[in-house]
Amino acid sequence: MDENKKKILEMLAENKISTDEAYRLLSALETEGSTSEGTPKAGTAARMKSKYLRVCVVPGLEHEHGGKGDRVNIRVPLALIRSGMKFTSLLPPEARDKVTGALREKGIDFDMRNLKPEDLDELLEALSDLEVDVASSDGETVKVFVE
Amino acid sequence: MKSPPMLMHVKIRGERRGFNLWIPIFLLLPLALAVFIIVAPLILIAIPIFWPSGWRKRALHIFGAVFEIICSMRGIKVDMQSDHDYVYISAV
Repeated sequence: MDENKKKILEMLAENKISTDEAYRLLSALETEGSTSEGTPKAGTAARMKSKYLRVCVVPGLEHEHGGKGDRVNIRVPLALIRSGMKFTSLLPPEARDKVTGALREKGIDFDMRNLKPEDLDELLEALSDLEVDVASSDGETVKVFVE
Repeated sequence: MKSPPMLMHVKIRGERRGFNLWIPIFLLLPLALAVFIIVAPLILIAIPIFWPSGWRKRALHIFGAVFEIICSMRGIKVDMQSDHDYVYISAV
């Protein structure tokens, strides 16, 4: 049996996920499998091509004519994010506990000690599908995407 | 192997004044190497001192991580503009 399917079934048996979620995950796995059969590793290759995280803020038309409004164009290499996150493992345990405590205070239940290199790769791979596109009423647009 | 950025372009413009700077990092690398060679004997002395405390391993990892971060900066671009201010930083 496929390893991923086995994991999903195990999670279902342990009541970590519902039957609906298990069904959705299994369907997604099957779809992924059928698409990758035709073009092997096509999806992975496309994701591997993603190199930068882009953040763009473009002011609205009224701002452009009036000469007001902030324009932001930031390109961050994903490798820098990866290196930065690896750097967290070098933090002294006391500092790490403080960060975890501060995050918990803000309602984010995230422990950096649980962040493993394989999780990091998975996270960055998932980031490749990220796209945020927000347009305000005055025409200002904010875009966050990976290219 | 990753290599550090060769050039860094920093352009800052305020309401009254500003500057435009090209930093040739590739010229600074031999300088950094020379400094490292000078400091190397001190590092060799520090290693046995900090050996029992476990800091040796962490210090080596920090050196590696800092170098990796510098290398990963290649391609970074920050371009921010407001009415009167402009900041542009790029590493190639």
